[in-house]
Amino acid sequence: MTTESLEELLQSVEDPIELFRNNDLADNQYVFPDEYTNWIEEQRAIRESCAIVDQSYHMQTLEIAGPAAIDLLAGIAVNDFTKFRTDGPPQAINLLMCNHDGYVIGDNICFQLGQNELYAVGSRLENNWIRYNAEISDLEVTTTVLDGPFEDGDPTNFRFQIQGPHALDVMDAVVDGGLPDIGFFQMDELEIGGVPTHALGHGMAAMPGLEIFGPFEHHDAVYEAIRQAGEPYGLRRMGAKAYKTGKIGSGWFVFAVPAIYEGEETKGYREWLPADSAAGVLSIGGSYEPDAITDYYMEPAERGQAHLIDFDHDFIGKTALEERIDNQQRERVTYVWNSEDVVDVYASLFRDGDTDKFIPIPDTATQWSKIHYDSVHKDGEVVGFSKYPGYLYYEREMLSLGTIDVAHSDPGTEVTFLWGENTEKRGVERHRTRELRATVAPAPYVQGGRRSM
Amino acid sequence: MMAADNLEQVLQSVDNPARLFRNNDLGWQPYVFQPEYTNWIEEQRAVRESVAVVDQSYHMEILRIEGPEAVDLLESLSVNSFEKVRSGDPPRAINYLTCNPDGYVIGDVIVFYLGENTFTSVGSEWINNWIRYNGEVGDYDADLEIAYHPFDDRDPPDFRIQVQGPDALKVMETVVDGSLPEIPFFNMDTIEINGTETFALSHGMAAMPGLEIFGPYEQHDAVLDDIFAAGEEYGIRQLGTKAYKTGKIGSGWFVSAVPAIYEHEDLLGYREWLGADSMEANLSIGGTYDSDDITDYYMTPMEQGKTNIITFDHDFVGREALEGMIDQQERQRVTLVWNSEDVIDVYASLFREGETNQFIHLPDVATRWSAMHYDTVLKDAEEVGLSKYPGYLYYKREMLSLATVDTEYSEPGTEVTFLWGDQTAKRGVDRNEQTEIRATVAEAPYVKGGRRDP
Repeated sequence: MTTESLEELLQSVEDPIELFRNNDLADNQYVFPDEYTNWIEEQRAIRESCAIVDQSYHMQTLEIAGPAAIDLLAGIAVNDFTKFRTDGPPQAINLLMCNHDGYVIGDNICFQLGQNELYAVGSRLENNWIRYNAEISDLEVTTTVLDGPFEDGDPTNFRFQIQGPHALDVMDAVVDGGLPDIGFFQMDELEIGGVPTHALGHGMAAMPGLEIFGPFEHHDAVYEAIRQAGEPYGLRRMGAKAYKTGKIGSGWFVFAVPAIYEGEETKGYREWLPADSAAGVLSIGGSYEPDAITDYYMEPAERGQAHLIDFDHDFIGKTALEERIDNQQRERVTYVWNSEDVVDVYASLFRDGDTDKFIPIPDTATQWSKIHYDSVHKDGEVVGFSKYPGYLYYEREMLSLGTIDVAHSDPGTEVTFLWGENTEKRGVERHRTRELRATVAPAPYVQGGRRSM
Repeated sequence: MMAADNLEQVLQSVDNPARLFRNNDLGWQPYVFQPEYTNWIEEQRAVRESVAVVDQSYHMEILRIEGPEAVDLLESLSVNSFEKVRSGDPPRAINYLTCNPDGYVIGDVIVFYLGENTFTSVGSEWINNWIRYNGEVGDYDADLEIAYHPFDDRDPPDFRIQVQGPDALKVMETVVDGSLPEIPFFNMDTIEINGTETFALSHGMAAMPGLEIFGPYEQHDAVLDDIFAAGEEYGIRQLGTKAYKTGKIGSGWFVSAVPAIYEHEDLLGYREWLGADSMEANLSIGGTYDSDDITDYYMTPMEQGKTNIITFDHDFVGREALEGMIDQQERQRVTLVWNSEDVIDVYASLFREGETNQFIHLPDVATRWSAMHYDTVLKDAEEVGLSKYPGYLYYKREMLSLATVDTEYSEPGTEVTFLWGDQTAKRGVDRNEQTEIRATVAEAPYVKGGRRDP
């Protein structure tokens, strides 16, 4: 039996945009509850006390091992691997990979835990690209999917994030011998009740925080130790609503359409990827209706990730990125939604006639699609798109992360965006599309508090 | 202090049980299905405009009562008449209501008479507990067995599926072998689906025709698939908990009130029988109503709109009290239609500085943070009733709650207010500033029309 490939799927449809925009969300990897207690209190905990997220289950871990593990990643990622090669483990980087034209395929966090032992933790959209490149290369490297939300069995590691102004106090109480100083995106090794644990300096909402991981068999014991230490500070466990909305203020584009759907250089990858892979069952939401699938692609610079690019090594997309890096058309911004307009969307539920697209608060758009794109307008022209909408209680605002033409990226610029979508998704109720007003603001939007960037 | 091991000990260990329960977080969640299967607005619309299916196989407790004196046991605890069961009628369903000796409601469930001295009681555990306790302490020739509990690690004995909406009967006509019999509201019949004998109870929601069917669990997937296939042309939707739970508001059914078991001396034995880990010992009461007297949370059958099922043709717990109370009812069941400007302003508070009002989850507003909701209803600053089960219905474009108000304020059109914003220590409640929301009294059941046989 032959399994249909992504390439065959794309050849079989007239327009992949139409396919993906009408697809319902097929793979929701967020396996934890929407709220553990109350989303407002869970959001407040990140800014006012401390919050814990159990990240043990919703991401895929890909092991990349062998003498050429770093060489493999260096060849496909924009990042500088000097510290992996010279400082040695443990290290972590925000691994960012582009296609040959310099458009983003995806990013995740890559941990170096042994000299030739790397772990990419994130979604299948990026890990599949790493696996494919390992298979077609002559390098001495192997890749293994260790665990993931769609794999059977327990994960390899427990993985917790502890965040908020009292996060380090709590961790200081649970770490054997006290918590050492760990800078942002720096790593260290700790023991918690004798359990060997890795720690990464990594806050959300511009607050101090740690991501820790260690052998899964100790999941419950480590969680319980943190819960008890956090009790005096009012620790809250974050459900999916508070967790997912935490990313808007920190300026991280969780997903964009991976830049893999056209072009000769990635054709082999499309033939390698099954039609039912994450990239084949993509669900795109929102009002943005581009002419070509490539219009959804994003560049590292418009995602605010230009600083990750190291032009001192060869990697896929380097030439294209070198040409464009100093001549960017678009910039990453935050859109602050006009609150009267948002409230009026609610008011439409109490009027006769067509209602506006319901705005679930706080996590607005992850129920019905994987990747959200609304089209942003200025003087009747499309000037950008708006992604990841959500409400932040500690800002008292509805926000979205987006990109906009540099001509309009000044904070304070008034724009509108189209809210609603004309698709056939069953996850979207019948509604009318309308314009909502928004004001351009910097990204990351949530500032201050984190001790070291 | 020794840990309590029964409800009575829990009650003795605290100053005030009402205060305990008001500060308890919801400790259990029997709704094991998803909040939305597709989209709650479309799921609500399907109930009124096309056809909707609810998979009820997993969230209710099933108590099986079997034996020559099963009927005597059930009858002795309930306001309902069992005359038709005793006269050997075919299988039927009874909206079974039990009261304490003072005539206050302990709870109601649906009891199915399956023939041959066999009954199943399907619903909340606190009615089943009361039946089991009385079965154990009484002298009845009847066997009682919990056939399924929502937290069980086993399959239920039956699939249980509701199909509802204007196209529900057309869909079922396709699914059943032969043709679908005419089944009057709340009557039962047997049908065959793929050769499997299946019970069918006529039971609609949102004043629409509907059937609840149940049969051997092995057929669960096959029957559900058949229903989806037959329903496709009508745009069938599966109801998630948001659409399912809000469907009850318009039909006037008080899902749960505080069971009237916490103080009566005749029920001391029952309170000692109930474990400290029982639902009754771990109640979570939500809302603004903050009486410290637990009996203030009790309800009478009359104010729940159940006067019509009380029959004095048999002896039952609470009969004497009810005979005295039935014609002197002080409160009436009504629906409150919330003032939409006030509801919208609760949202607007999320965009202002200062304290926010308690977040209103649409459409299923209050089932996340307590097991039973009570808001204080006011008229001219006086407390005149209790507002329960708030929710939004898309097909009405309104926020509604089911309530009881003093008879003199029960006239449709009466303007009242209620207090919104739970001020307890529950972790499931956001810190908030209490506010007053305007509401208009309307009839209950609020949603009318469409059902072929009310």
